[in-house]
Amino acid sequence: MGEHANLYMGKDIYFWNFIVLMVFTLFELGAVFFETVPGTDIDISRSAVWAILIGVGIVKGYGIAAFFMHLRDEHKWFNITFMFPWIFVALMLWGIGLSNPEGVTGLPSWCTPDWSYATER
Amino acid sequence: MSGHGNDVANSTWLRAIMMAGLILTIGVAGFAVLGVGIADQKHHTWEDEHHHYDDAKKEWQDAVAAGTISGEDHDTELYIAKEEAHNDEVAAHLSYLTYRVAGMTMLFLTAGYAAFIGLGGFLNASKPKADDHGDDHGHGDGYGDDHHGSASPIIFAFGIMVFLMGLPDFIVACKALLDDTVVAELGMLGVSVSGLLIIVIAVSNWWFEDLPFIGHGEQIATSYPFEGDHIRKVGLWVFIMSEIMVFATFFSSYLRMRTEWCTKWAFENSDGGFEGCQSSDDWVLTASDYLRPGGAKIDGLGNSVGDFWTLLPGGINTFALIISSYTIVLALKTAKNANWEAPKGIMGKLMPTRKAAVRNYLIATLMLGSLFIVLKLVEWSHLVAEGFTIGTVQGSIFYIATGAHGLHVFIGLVIMLYLVFKADTIGFDEDNAQGIEYFGLYWHFVDLAWVVIFPAFYLY
Repeated sequence: MGEHANLYMGKDIYFWNFIVLMVFTLFELGAVFFETVPGTDIDISRSAVWAILIGVGIVKGYGIAAFFMHLRDEHKWFNITFMFPWIFVALMLWGIGLSNPEGVTGLPSWCTPDWSYATER
Repeated sequence: MSGHGNDVANSTWLRAIMMAGLILTIGVAGFAVLGVGIADQKHHTWEDEHHHYDDAKKEWQDAVAAGTISGEDHDTELYIAKEEAHNDEVAAHLSYLTYRVAGMTMLFLTAGYAAFIGLGGFLNASKPKADDHGDDHGHGDGYGDDHHGSASPIIFAFGIMVFLMGLPDFIVACKALLDDTVVAELGMLGVSVSGLLIIVIAVSNWWFEDLPFIGHGEQIATSYPFEGDHIRKVGLWVFIMSEIMVFATFFSSYLRMRTEWCTKWAFENSDGGFEGCQSSDDWVLTASDYLRPGGAKIDGLGNSVGDFWTLLPGGINTFALIISSYTIVLALKTAKNANWEAPKGIMGKLMPTRKAAVRNYLIATLMLGSLFIVLKLVEWSHLVAEGFTIGTVQGSIFYIATGAHGLHVFIGLVIMLYLVFKADTIGFDEDNAQGIEYFGLYWHFVDLAWVVIFPAFYLY
């Protein structure tokens, strides 16, 4: 594990990362729990919840990967190993998750070889 | 990996059997208190509430039959009393389930721990003592002094294959144990149980090879781009790479279906854009509709069934995983710190030595992970009781994704069990802390996966 000699207010980076993760999780739960901003009449819209969940997820993910998994201190090939599958993750999220809303029957022909087998059986 | 370092006496492994006994005792005690004692009390309360509901329902039905109130009028006192009684009954049922399932999960979880560590200890204690130790490095694995690959991983993989081959029959046989209407034969357990036995043997042999490791003989990669790095570490990162893909399949499948579902949120933001989705009756209910405050699953009085208390197990689990990620970091930090000094005060009493501190941090991690499993199954039992079953598309993807994650947590806990054992016997220090470090990478990845699963399946 990478040695973090630097202390911030007497505590190491792992401690502060832990605190950030805890606080952001509270924030995440709060965004869903409250329908309006506490103390105001301002509605928390669906888009705002989306933005908060994604934003908090990115921060938490970075905190865990960079500090707890200490990728920040590793050489680039470990980082590349970690990042490589995300190309496919992105492709899957786009290619499967967010495209072709007609469903599997509406997938392009190159994606459904011998589709008649499944429909005529 | 080959075991390089000190000899491990067979008697050391007997401590694993004692550890198994201790763990099983804790599980039985937990089951007796939660799953029997408190759960029985809760069951009586549930029965009382059930009778109360039956009475209120009959009173309402009689009034409707007599024509004094309309069955369609949901503002009458009798209707409200009936629905409140129904809500009380549901709450009492869920409360009963909480303790019953928590107790049973503790029992099965600890039985699983005891089986692995106890059988592993027994098998390893029964092995003939190695006779090839004694060179400068003190090799003591009983298989010669040269580096060699371990057969344990492939035996382990073979065991998993055999287990999965018998899994369909195994599930039916397990169902038969819980449901009288399901017919099964004992032999249907055979293939999977054989697989489990192979898994236990492989794992125990793996431990046998690793326990003597005190930091000498770690295999180093010799070629670009990982030249100079520990081979185990590189292997673990490649494993994590494949794990990312596994969870990506779940997540992309969920996203694929989710974009097509007419959920409450999607309906309210679509300006009527969902074909065939005209009213709340057409809404697709996801797990978050049962769990989060303001979710689309409503009771007879028009209130959302999701509130702070239904979201609580998932919330606690999120914090439990984050805290456990930190405790494993503390275990590693402590193991690597040759100048470690005992803290003052109560922490000093809990952690008087570096060895005890590492072990106790690992025990804390083990307990937090176990809490995750217990709360996970409590939460599942609530969802099933409320009608969110695996028989629906949205239930299927939810249980498969969160179940796969839970399985990863359980596997991590079995490994952690061994780390606790090693921390308590051989001990970890700056030379051999790789075991904690590499396990920590896996554990942090499990935490990372939850960072995606929790908001996607529980909150959104």
